[in-house]
Amino acid sequence: MTRTARGRSAVAAFALFVVVGVAAFWLLTRPRPLAATALPDHTPDPMGGEVLYHVGSCGSCHKAADGAPGAEEGLPAGSAALPTPVGTFYPGNLTPDPETGIGRWSEIDFVNAMTRGLSPDGAHYFPAFPYTSFAAMPIEDVLDLHAYLMSLPPVRSPTRRPDVPMLGLARRGVGLWNRMALGDRRFEPDPARSASWNRGAYLTNGPGHCGECHTPRNWMMIPDRSRYLAGGPHPAEEGDVPSLRGLLARGRYKDVGDLTLALQYGETFGYDKLSSGGMAAIQMNLAKLPESDVRAISEYLLSLN
Amino acid sequence: MIRNRKHTLAAALVATMTFAGVGMAVSSTDTIKDRQDAMETVGGAMQKLGAIAKGEAPFDAAVVKENAATMEEHLRKASTLFPEGSDTGDVETWAKAEIWTDHADFVMKLKTAEAAAEAMKSVTEESAFRPALGKLGNSCKECHQTYRRPKQR
Ligand code: HEC
Ligand code: HEC
Ligand code: HEC
Repeated sequence: MTRTARGRSAVAAFALFVVVGVAAFWLLTRPRPLAATALPDHTPDPMGGEVLYHVGSCGSCHKAADGAPGAEEGLPAGSAALPTPVGTFYPGNLTPDPETGIGRWSEIDFVNAMTRGLSPDGAHYFPAFPYTSFAAMPIEDVLDLHAYLMSLPPVRSPTRRPDVPMLGLARRGVGLWNRMALGDRRFEPDPARSASWNRGAYLTNGPGHCGECHTPRNWMMIPDRSRYLAGGPHPAEEGDVPSLRGLLARGRYKDVGDLTLALQYGETFGYDKLSSGGMAAIQMNLAKLPESDVRAISEYLLSLN
Repeated sequence: MIRNRKHTLAAALVATMTFAGVGMAVSSTDTIKDRQDAMETVGGAMQKLGAIAKGEAPFDAAVVKENAATMEEHLRKASTLFPEGSDTGDVETWAKAEIWTDHADFVMKLKTAEAAAEAMKSVTEESAFRPALGKLGNSCKECHQTYRRPKQR
């Protein structure tokens, strides 16, 4: 083989490698949405949806920036900045405004966003949006949440694209990450436990997305299921998130009633460790839940050792 | 000769700098410890008030006043314990760098807490206790959510 021929075949091999690589990337990062036929026959309950809205802290990440439309009313009109290690996000407007909110979204669009992390036009959302936890929700609950959002007053407030380097490619790449991190997350109740324990386990691991901060992650930022809720470095900022295991054994709380009060009142009742690193917003949202749901979460957490 | 003199000079310079450095580290270490102690005391008094709110202890205006005074005193003390440069020391601190970049806001939040503790001192009726406690507790939360790193304990 002459030198140029060898050179040419090397180029061809490299080109093939690139083509195969791009094709594999394209296939592996393909969005896999649910079809509208996956929707169950369900009469949505907006009141149940409101509970999921609070336990999910939707209003904290999707809040309006100070002085922006919807800010005064505390509506989830988006526009407030959410800084993350990946870049700064401006989580979208969740009010039913047809132009700038989710007013024109179909039910299946909303279900795909919440449980698959996919936008209506099939792009991947970044996991800064905790769909990896929301994926544990049954479709009926997602529809209840949707019904609650649709009952809010529409706010016209356009939101900005996130400031993320190489946004398009990064979005596509999330598809690859989803293949490893998403899987089938649906919540399976444990029949050996009480209804309240199961409700607590569901709220904690599904809509409550407590594990997004309280479960340590591996080097690919995938939560380590074997150390579920065991605490670790904060995924988004400085400091360490405490473990939610062994709270009783470590004497952090006396009993279910004590932890319930802590989650309802936080520092206003003299409980420390419920304010820093984003926990204050979570606690104040938990304070809006029916007491039985906060008790259920406490019952579940105190059963973890 | 000249060379040697330069060396001695340099050595002396390095030595002074090192000592100055040690001096600074010691003083900011003490400052950090002092403010953590002050906050710990504030937290302890807050727990006493929390016990009343939880119904674990009866409402007693004297107990409320005593603990509120402790909090006011130590919050005032804390306001002198966050000088520039005390973001690191030989002990770990959970104070965030934003304390010194948004200093005016930090100081205002400390003043708000101090004022809430002062207001608590004059609570004599049980009906006024819960609202005053809400204000006081929120003043801690408002600062800790922005200016304190969480720690695993
Ligand atoms: C920790 C912050 C956080 C929480 C909590 C959160 N979201 Fe989001 N959400 C985001 C971010 C960030 C995005 C945008 C992601 C992107 O652009 O890739 C987003 C996007 C969305 C979208 C797509 C919006 C659009 O315009 O395309 C919907 C719908 C949504 N979230 C609904 C919810 C609901 C409902 C809840 C509560 C159950 C919730 N989110 C809780 C951060 C959050
Ligand atoms: C945004 C990240 C984040 C999320 C989401 C989150 N937490 Fe936390 N949580 C923290 C941090 C950080 C702390 C420590 C706060 C401090 O030290 O002031 C904490 C502290 C706590 C504590 C106190 C632990 C102790 O040792 O006393 C409890 C209980 C708790 N969280 C429960 C929950 C529950 C329940 C949820 C879900 C509904 C949740 N957290 C969701 C970050 C988070
Ligand atoms: C203006 C800000 C600010 C206010 C107001 C404030 N704190 Fe703090 N607090 C801090 C900072 C910063 C730290 C971390 C100090 C460090 O580690 O150097 C801290 C630490 C603490 C700690 C942990 C101490 C330790 O041993 O590490 C407790 C407990 C505490 N604060 C209780 C309270 C209570 C209770 C209130 C309300 C009455 C309160 N704080 C009000 C800023 C504040």
